[in-house]
Amino acid sequence: MITCPNCAHANPDGAVNCEACFTPLPIVKNIQCPNCHATVLSDAKFCGHCGFNLSGSTAVNSLSNTGANTGANTNSENEIELSIDPSTEIFPVQPIPIAMSNILPDEPTEGDSAENLAANPFAEVTTPKFTDIENLLAAEANNPPVTESVEPSVQEPIKTPVPMSIKTQLQQFAASLLHVQTNLNIEIPAHLPVVHIGKPNTVIPPDIDVSGFPDSDIVSRIHADIRAEGGSFYFEDTGSSNGTYVNNLPLPAGNRHKLRAGDRISLGKGDKVSFVFQLSS
Amino acid sequence: MSVNLTCKLSDRSLDRNQSSSQRQLAIAISANAAFDGNNAPLNLCLVLDHSGSMGGQPLDTVKRAARDLVDCMYPQDRISVVGFDHKAHVVVENQPVDRIESIKAKIQSLKASGGTCIDDGIKLGLQETSKGKDGTVSQIFVLTDGENEHGDNERCFQFSRLATEYNMTLHSLGFGDSWNQDVLERIADAGGGAMAYIASPEAAGEEFQKLLKRVQAIGLTNAHLILQLAPHVRLAELKPIAQVAPDTIELAYQTEGDAIIVRLGDLMTDVERVVLFNLYISPASYIAEYPTSSEIPILTVQVRYDIPSLAQINSLSSPAPVTAELVQDFVPQVNPQVQNHLLALAKYRQTQLAEQKLQQGDRAGAATMLQSAAKTALQMGDEKASTILQNNATRLQTGTTLSEADRKKTRIASKTVLQPPTNPSTDPSTNL
Repeated sequence: MITCPNCAHANPDGAVNCEACFTPLPIVKNIQCPNCHATVLSDAKFCGHCGFNLSGSTAVNSLSNTGANTGANTNSENEIELSIDPSTEIFPVQPIPIAMSNILPDEPTEGDSAENLAANPFAEVTTPKFTDIENLLAAEANNPPVTESVEPSVQEPIKTPVPMSIKTQLQQFAASLLHVQTNLNIEIPAHLPVVHIGKPNTVIPPDIDVSGFPDSDIVSRIHADIRAEGGSFYFEDTGSSNGTYVNNLPLPAGNRHKLRAGDRISLGKGDKVSFVFQLSS
Repeated sequence: MSVNLTCKLSDRSLDRNQSSSQRQLAIAISANAAFDGNNAPLNLCLVLDHSGSMGGQPLDTVKRAARDLVDCMYPQDRISVVGFDHKAHVVVENQPVDRIESIKAKIQSLKASGGTCIDDGIKLGLQETSKGKDGTVSQIFVLTDGENEHGDNERCFQFSRLATEYNMTLHSLGFGDSWNQDVLERIADAGGGAMAYIASPEAAGEEFQKLLKRVQAIGLTNAHLILQLAPHVRLAELKPIAQVAPDTIELAYQTEGDAIIVRLGDLMTDVERVVLFNLYISPASYIAEYPTSSEIPILTVQVRYDIPSLAQINSLSSPAPVTAELVQDFVPQVNPQVQNHLLALAKYRQTQLAEQKLQQGDRAGAATMLQSAAKTALQMGDEKASTILQNNATRLQTGTTLSEADRKKTRIASKTVLQPPTNPSTDPSTNL
């Protein structure tokens, strides 16, 4: 029974025009939602029962899946997941869908079809991202800097081929921390209101994980954080054991320091793990 | 004289794997004047309302239009005039058009007074017309300006249907704004004729001439379409048959054995009648029997008709088969001419639905339906109709009621094509 959208007359199956008012009838069939197997109409965008996005896979869905099912993902994701903690993985990757949602559909994971889809329209854009990540992973065993440096390298290749996505980004103050001892630049995730610095833990997982750097054992798991407010960045010690220093002056816990370009941040005594705050515009 | 018959399916390709496919079949019929160009003489009867409301200019213009009509007729034609108010009387007896001045004088003698009883007028008109119906094309023009106050509408429809059984066609002309468009449309539909709207007295002459031209082009009468459907084909349940050109008329059908018979009435030599059939085809049983066949028969169609000029009745055209093509990978390929016919029917049906909703009090629903009708008209290229329908829709939405004149204009806009599309469908037709 096909109901006419114009006059509500019940037409037999196979009807192309309504018997009563002759308006063209939409050709919809009943299909199954791939997620929950409920019957949905073929022209629906979302499943009415489980909310699954029927118009192909999307970043959001797959990302939540990647977070949940670490096992069921494509190769590149697996590599990342094995080498980096899932918790750290999620955060750096998430900004991408939000900022450039065009790109992400390929990242998903649900199977080869998604990857193949990804390969075609977004071939130029996405593969650099993954190859970069893989290269960096191979090159350095340092996970956090990899994930962070993925961001700038991701953004660069993406910026050139797809300038459109730049327009949709919110205006960012691109701030980064230059790790003095290894000369690695870590981008501060721009969209996060608070960026936690520390080592992996279950209470407040860090956005910038310094556990890969040399002498990182003097850094606490919940060490410090940087807040972005109104275009300025504020640095604060969140209860570290060995203390925090700004420009070699101790920063008591709870005191927020407004960061200026060139400020030197040291985690723990003796300037063993230090960063230089940099602003790039 | 013979019949031109053209059959077109809305989409000639049929999906092998689909259990039931809906298709529309457009059959275009006209009279072919190639062999014997002369039409039979006309037997015209004018049934004129001269009730009190017609007093003054209205009746004067009608009388003048009638007199002009007589001038355009040929000596071998026959004419009769019946006048009615609450009773009917013969003004001009059925006679050949030779004593023109005396005929005109009698027409001029009509005076306006009295009530309105349309059915009495039609009954007397039928009686007068039947006196000259042998070997002629019998046509009756019924003109009225008001409601059937002293009469019975049901009797009107009965007389109209009776006329067709005697092979006489009834056309209705509504004068002014006070007539009932539903009643007059039903009279015309039952009588196999057209409906005309004379909005103002000045238009009377023009409308009379248009209708005269239509009836003077009639070559064949009492035409019936006889269809034999294949066993895997069935007609749609709801209103499967309708004429879509030149006017839209819902058609009733009869079944005799396994044949479907539809009465068309008169066939003109210059204008085609196009009838649309709504069908459902289930190819599964045919494919099971002939798995290698790539063509599937749908139906055969014949026309039964009378040739008044030769006093011949019940001539049959040779059966014309209609087939479709079975395809594995179905891609819709709609025939644009059939699509246009579909749109004409859609426009009419949608406007009718709007009228129904209006009568039920659902103004919002009626306005929506009128808007879809306006859109359909636009798709057809009938911009004038689209404007009328859209105006009505807007008026309903803003809360104003439609005037009587509006409703009549709407009815005419839905039934006929006010502005024909730029590419009229001209197809080489097959002589039968």
